Amino acid sequence: MSKKAVVTQEKELPEQEQRAVAVSSGGAANQNTRRNIGLIVGREYKNRVTQRSFIISSIVILVMVIIAAFVPTIIRYFTSTSNAQTKIVVVNNAGTIAGLNGDALARYIGTALNGTAAQATGTNTPGQNTSGKPPFAITVQTSNALGSLQEQVKNGSLNILLVLDRSTNQDLHLTYYTNANTTNDTNLSKVQVLAQQLNFLDAAHRLGLTPTQTSRLFAQPGFTVVNTGQGQNNRPVSEIAAGYIIAIAGNILIYIAVLLYGMGVALGVAEEKGSRIMEILVSAATPFQLMAGKIIGIGAAGLTQMACVVAIGIGALLLQSPLQAALFGANSGGLTLNITSVSITLLLLLVYFILGFLLYATLFAAMGALVKRQDEVQNAVAPLTFLLVIGYIVSYFGVYSPDATWMKVISYIPFWTPTTMLVRIGASGVAWWEIPFTIALMIVAIFVCAVISARIYRFGVLMYGQRPGLGQLAKLMRMK
Amino acid sequence: MGLVVEHINKSFAQFQVIKDLSMEVKEGTIFGFLGANGAGKTTTMRMILDILRPDSGRITWNGKDVHEVPRKNWGYLPEERGLYPKMRVDEQLLFLARLNGVSKQAAEKELDEWLGRFQINANRKKKVEELSKGNQQKVQFLATILHDPTILVMDEPFSGLDPVNANVLKEAFLEMHSRGKTIIFSTHQLEQVEELCQDIVIINKGQSIVQGSVQEVKRQQGRNVARLKLDNDPEARWLDTLEGVQVTKRRQDYIEMHIQANLNPNLIVEAALQHGGIISRFELAEPSLTDIFIEQVGMSALPDAPSVLSA
Repeated sequence: MSKKAVVTQEKELPEQEQRAVAVSSGGAANQNTRRNIGLIVGREYKNRVTQRSFIISSIVILVMVIIAAFVPTIIRYFTSTSNAQTKIVVVNNAGTIAGLNGDALARYIGTALNGTAAQATGTNTPGQNTSGKPPFAITVQTSNALGSLQEQVKNGSLNILLVLDRSTNQDLHLTYYTNANTTNDTNLSKVQVLAQQLNFLDAAHRLGLTPTQTSRLFAQPGFTVVNTGQGQNNRPVSEIAAGYIIAIAGNILIYIAVLLYGMGVALGVAEEKGSRIMEILVSAATPFQLMAGKIIGIGAAGLTQMACVVAIGIGALLLQSPLQAALFGANSGGLTLNITSVSITLLLLLVYFILGFLLYATLFAAMGALVKRQDEVQNAVAPLTFLLVIGYIVSYFGVYSPDATWMKVISYIPFWTPTTMLVRIGASGVAWWEIPFTIALMIVAIFVCAVISARIYRFGVLMYGQRPGLGQLAKLMRMK
Repeated sequence: MGLVVEHINKSFAQFQVIKDLSMEVKEGTIFGFLGANGAGKTTTMRMILDILRPDSGRITWNGKDVHEVPRKNWGYLPEERGLYPKMRVDEQLLFLARLNGVSKQAAEKELDEWLGRFQINANRKKKVEELSKGNQQKVQFLATILHDPTILVMDEPFSGLDPVNANVLKEAFLEMHSRGKTIIFSTHQLEQVEELCQDIVIINKGQSIVQGSVQEVKRQQGRNVARLKLDNDPEARWLDTLEGVQVTKRRQDYIEMHIQANLNPNLIVEAALQHGGIISRFELAEPSLTDIFIEQVGMSALPDAPSVLSA
């Protein structure tokens, strides 16, 4: 052929001689990077979402999420129907208490126990077991029925009998009759609180204080918290709570998803290597294209699955308010998730998830390229799994000290940024610059890892001998 | 010019797999690449395809370094199954063809034609793992040629095929040949080599031991084969004393011997008559490639070399 071509080859010869193992990085395949990556992404995506295991696992996860969302409502439904109403009969032998007597006293007790101005009338209200039913039904009766009432408590037809007396020094004394086990009786503690209130009011009344004076005596002191830290001082509590819930849920999501799909990448690479299709692929596309296509394809499939889970999960949660309203009445106070107030946290969750996945997936791909068979993948990726677990666990400590210096430092380390930053954002809010800063750090880390992984991939994919040691790895990586 | 391999060497760790191997494959020919298991055939093919690089020496296609030749000019059929087991036949072939730069429409058209010709149209929507071994091999062959490459490198394309399918593949080979493709293939079925190939090389332990056109190789052996049958003397022990004759097989139906190229075969007939033999068969033949292969490679190469080589 032409002399020119021969000359250029000779120039390249020495460089070529240095290469021990080099999969073609030829110019021809490079020109079609976008087309090739697109094709590989399409194949990986379709292959994954049509896999039976993928569909089944998606359905299982979705069912679990839906069940989890409905559990509080279901529990509440059962407890509210089985524990219909706690009937309390009050026998007042103490006369006027804190200026209250008869119905007024019953109404006060009802208000204190039910937390609302509920129906605490002199007569029992048996017909009222509809949605607006308060947990306690208060009835006041006279002392001559005491014996039969005690009998009713014993046989279970009456839940609680409360007898009010005065001791010789005029202090109130309450006797609480119940059939239930008193060690974990939640009603008992509520009645104890009530007893304390009654006693205070009664004592104050006997000392001759007016109701106004009494209320001033027990008024809460003025107490204002001023947080001079950056960022979060004017975030409403509800938003912090919602952000926090999303951070924890997102944290779990990131951990599971990165592990699951990262493993998918490693297994996919090992599968191609095991089935030797790699030999055909590397002569059609460059190792970088293969790696990028695989990671993006599997990542997109994972994102689809996660998006379904999150969307259906949020949908199921939002359904709880109207459902609880229908079941338990208007002011049932179910979870009201204000989506707009947490949209930024959600957006950051998405960004950190994608970045975290890309970072780990490049390394998972390299590990997959180093093993000989699929069953060795688990061992090979163990160090990566360990790295991910550390970030996951540390993020839980971060809940208690989100602004500690060590926590900040850890959240800047790209491998741990996704989980720890999310918790920090959820728990305390961070300085605005920390978000772009960590994102930039992660992008740099992804770039570095991608370069290293592409090199490992390049010689790893066709190496069927022994797994190389670290020293050999470093040596091979330095080769161009 | 074609494909020229010049003095290549390749070692894995301390083990030298290829030693100073040179060969030339003329453009548009079918080239047989022979050698025992572990002789270095697969490694050499990988170097030709620029999947591996030789430690020294170089490989060129029409004077151009192989790594500069556009990828779509190469078609590679690996020895082991190189397909996605869980992917549909048609999707798989389209994917590979498009990865090699064929447009979707063109790839579909080619695919329809070839699936029909190979009689696997009924299986086009099946997963590869559901096909028989023979059909898988046909799919593998299609994966190699669908993007219309110039050079086909095939590692044991005939393994696992029954005679009917082997024939289908052989015809496809010949068609590729008539389209001007260059085909390099390795095989252990040497009759096919005699039938298909213009040139061959036999390598042993990474070194070329015999190469040239099939005719040349046979002639190079400097001998012919004669087969003799005597009705009254099946052993014909006197043959062992004849100069220039070496008995290789004493079979029930005939005795086979190598005779030196310059020996007049009539001498054997005369000697047989002298010993009172009744000749019922006498024929002269060229040595088969099988004979040459066994003689050249010998018993030493038969034990499998370490797995690195055959991988």
